[in-house]
Amino acid sequence: MKRKKIYSSNVIIGLVITGAMLLMILIGFIHTPYDITKMDSAAKLAAPSLKHLMGCDNFGRDIFSRVLKGMGNTFVIAAATVTIGTVCGVVIGAFTGYFGGLLDEVLMRVNDVVFAFPSILLALVFVSIFGTGKYNVIGALGIAFIPSFARIVRGEFIKYREMDYVKSARLSGVGQLRIIFVHILPNAMPVLMSSIMIGFNNAVLAEAGMSYLGIGVQPPNASLGSMLSESQTYLFSAPWYALFPGLMIILMVLGLSLLADRGGK
Amino acid sequence: MKYIGKKLAAMIITLLCISFLVYLAFDLIPGDAALAALGTDATPESLAALREQLGLNRPFLERYLEWLAHFVGGDFGTSYKYHLPVADMIVSKLPITVIMAVISFFIMVVISLPIGIYTAKHSGKRIDRIVMALNQIVMSVPHFFMGILITYFFGLVLRWFTPGGFVSYETDFWKFLAYIIFPCFAIALPKIAMSVKLLRSSCIEESKKDYVRTAYSKGNNTNKVLYRHVLRNAMIPVITLWGMTLADMLVGSIVIEQVFNIPGIGRILLTSISYRDYPVVEAIITLIAFVVIVTNFVVDVVYQLIDPRINV
Repeated sequence: MKRKKIYSSNVIIGLVITGAMLLMILIGFIHTPYDITKMDSAAKLAAPSLKHLMGCDNFGRDIFSRVLKGMGNTFVIAAATVTIGTVCGVVIGAFTGYFGGLLDEVLMRVNDVVFAFPSILLALVFVSIFGTGKYNVIGALGIAFIPSFARIVRGEFIKYREMDYVKSARLSGVGQLRIIFVHILPNAMPVLMSSIMIGFNNAVLAEAGMSYLGIGVQPPNASLGSMLSESQTYLFSAPWYALFPGLMIILMVLGLSLLADRGGK
Repeated sequence: MKYIGKKLAAMIITLLCISFLVYLAFDLIPGDAALAALGTDATPESLAALREQLGLNRPFLERYLEWLAHFVGGDFGTSYKYHLPVADMIVSKLPITVIMAVISFFIMVVISLPIGIYTAKHSGKRIDRIVMALNQIVMSVPHFFMGILITYFFGLVLRWFTPGGFVSYETDFWKFLAYIIFPCFAIALPKIAMSVKLLRSSCIEESKKDYVRTAYSKGNNTNKVLYRHVLRNAMIPVITLWGMTLADMLVGSIVIEQVFNIPGIGRILLTSISYRDYPVVEAIITLIAFVVIVTNFVVDVVYQLIDPRINV
């Protein structure tokens, strides 16, 4: 009894945090208090105040506005990455798991190779070939995320393909595609959902790491990672500059991981 | 033995595939070594002559095999920008990255084991809930932000170290260690949180099994059951996680090096990317991928030694 109570409070906290983050992202898309590129030389490295909720950066730009926009960028990149990973992963995992055979053997070996290649290295290869930018990061991370989804979905399909309900569907003449996507896939959803949430968190962390290295979203556009990298020079005189973007990354990840835990149990 | 042989073969195939893909990727970039050496205003004739001399006109597969043979032999090519052999540029930097990863790994093992066991033993109590809540938060902190926080508290507020005051291991090994320990903690902390969580839940899961009740009924006390029976089985998933982390830590140090201003492999890699110094980028990426794959292989083998039931 007691255990159940603990995790439901975790879920509530997770929902509250995730909800607040989504709200901030939404607000950032519609309106920011200041223009994110507007520089105000009088407000250089200003401390947090009512006028500038999170203070100002070294160019006198409003950090709160930039954090809102940066969260939006991170969200879009992470969402696109996870979408690529999930869609491709589900298709590959479903077909290899359901049909097995040579196709399965080959694709799983390819999967292992991509899986063995660290995602940040893949992104660096992408960037050195195609140049820096948002879309290259999405492409690189998206590819890097396919194997883990494919593996999970494949496992689920192997589990279900010999079950009686699948056999009877096959006997009554249901098409293979329909069995895969209408009959089996919904059963794989709970496992898939929690790995989507974990994948989203990993994408947020990876994106932040890349823009920290300067290979993600390019200035003057805002991103949490590049703000952190700029803030380091002013860590002593303006610690809040580093604190707020970092805090937002933590909250985004924390909220979703509290929710994902529930799915895993 | 058969298992090791099979894994070894799989590893070699993976290594070949990755080196092939990396070479292919960098071969597709417009511009080649001849253009880089002569500059954009070279005449087409001199370019063609140099290409012939460097062997760039040969078929792709032939060039790849030659590159691979050189790579395995320790010749990683020549930097476009510095005109130095890449091997010379990275040979003194690689130990920094490797030492950092190894220290981080030890920090993780030494700290997460006692905390994991302790929280499992006291699961449900207040202390367990506090530790687990903290754990959940630490798990959400990106390692480079952890690095910034450590720089702020230990470097600027407490002044335990000077941010940016990195000393190479060649100059003074102890000063090097005294500096490197902080980035290592930044790398290790999120991983500690992950393994504490896994170890705790794995211990709790394992202690529900029948053999544990049997062990108790034979008159063993809690500690004996925990250390002799439960822990051995509960460690298996944790060791899997640790194996994956070791590779993560090697790659993670690329980012952490930037936070702490350490001139390691990561620094060379990033500057080479911005200068489009492709031979260097190609060599470092292949090298790191090789190290990661070999690490994974060693983990697989160790894993099988610990738990002989695994024989796939």
